[in-house]
Amino acid sequence: MIRLAKAMARKDLTLVLARGNGLAQALLLGLLLIFVFSLSREAGQPVTPQEAATVFWLSSAFCQVLVFNRLFALEETGEARLGLLLLPAPIQAVWLGKAIAGFCLLLLAQVCFLPAAVALLGQDLSGPLTEGALALLLVDLGLCAVGALLGALATGQGARESLLSVLFFPLQVPLLLAGIKLGAQTFGLSLPDGPGSWLRMALAFDGVFLGAGLLLFGFLYSGDA
Amino acid sequence: MLHLRDVAKRYGAVPVIRNVTCTIHPGTVHLLLGDNGAGKTTLLRLMARLASPTAGTVEYDPPSRQCAFLGHAGFLYPGLTALENLRFWRDAQRLPKSDAHLLELLDRVGLAAHAHRRAAVFSRGMAQRLSLARVLLQQADILLLDEPGTGLDAASRTLLHDEVKQARDRGAAVVLITHDVAQDVRLADRVLLLRNRTLAYDGDVGGFQEAAA
Repeated sequence: MIRLAKAMARKDLTLVLARGNGLAQALLLGLLLIFVFSLSREAGQPVTPQEAATVFWLSSAFCQVLVFNRLFALEETGEARLGLLLLPAPIQAVWLGKAIAGFCLLLLAQVCFLPAAVALLGQDLSGPLTEGALALLLVDLGLCAVGALLGALATGQGARESLLSVLFFPLQVPLLLAGIKLGAQTFGLSLPDGPGSWLRMALAFDGVFLGAGLLLFGFLYSGDA
Repeated sequence: MLHLRDVAKRYGAVPVIRNVTCTIHPGTVHLLLGDNGAGKTTLLRLMARLASPTAGTVEYDPPSRQCAFLGHAGFLYPGLTALENLRFWRDAQRLPKSDAHLLELLDRVGLAAHAHRRAAVFSRGMAQRLSLARVLLQQADILLLDEPGTGLDAASRTLLHDEVKQARDRGAAVVLITHDVAQDVRLADRVLLLRNRTLAYDGDVGGFQEAAA
């Protein structure tokens, strides 16, 4: 299973990064969102850390939808999905491979979104950076686990983008909330109760989405060809 | 071996296959024939377990037997080169084959010179040969080939026939859908004929030719 997951992730990253197969659109949309929001304020009017963190995670969420839409579209051109279903390995390896590839691509996009948010929204990274990085990884993990699961559901659907967005956003809310609160702390906001409860919430939803991915992916991906 | 017992398949209210019972034997080439829309591709997908039967059973004996499938689409990634495509399917299946072996395979199907070109720029025939290389890489016990000669030139068809014979000689069961009966019947050991959505003939080639005459 791990071997197939690694092969899937390597193949997807090659197609998306080395062959320019789709990340540019996701990056541009996220950066555009941050830029447009920066124009909503009068010159000199500060953006609060919570607003900045919200825009950062909104960009990440849109980026994630486009990334997983693209990742699952890779299997549709040559009906490679059928070939994957014939492999002598648990089909959950495909879910794991897509989640790993999506995680890498989302992190890469956020490496661009973060300096953009700092520069355009007038923030500084004055909060605890270790907790901020941990929060980023935990929230991304959950987003990618559910993204790889719902990407399978939208496979082959004509209205894939819309379907993905409709399914994604309600499920993402708890993780995004944790990401926004912990991101605001990284931008200097003091959380009265500390970051512990938000980190635990992100961890709990990671567990739920990872479990759901392992249990449900096979049913969603291996419907009648 | 692969056993189909009373297999039926319908899409919604539309029956595609009904009451098909047959056995696919190892070391044997089975020609699967029938008119357009007879249900050949559906039957092949049922054999590959890419579709579930509405009724009846499809059983592999032993259950660990693996099948390779070559359909109308070749399971290729257009953005990857020919070599990268084979590398992916090798790694995905944990096959202990080196890159040198993959290049040999590409040479066998006449694509050595195109190993580092993306599949997106391949002609239909080249893509079909690359798909054939993917199938051969797997060394599966059961080969399910849906009109594999489509788009191939005469030399490539000869190559395809050679590879099918080699697969049979190593003990693989081969099921081949074809419309070029005159050409491909020479390869076959048995014939399965679909008519009126069910199996009208299941027997050796000699008997089929006598019945046809």
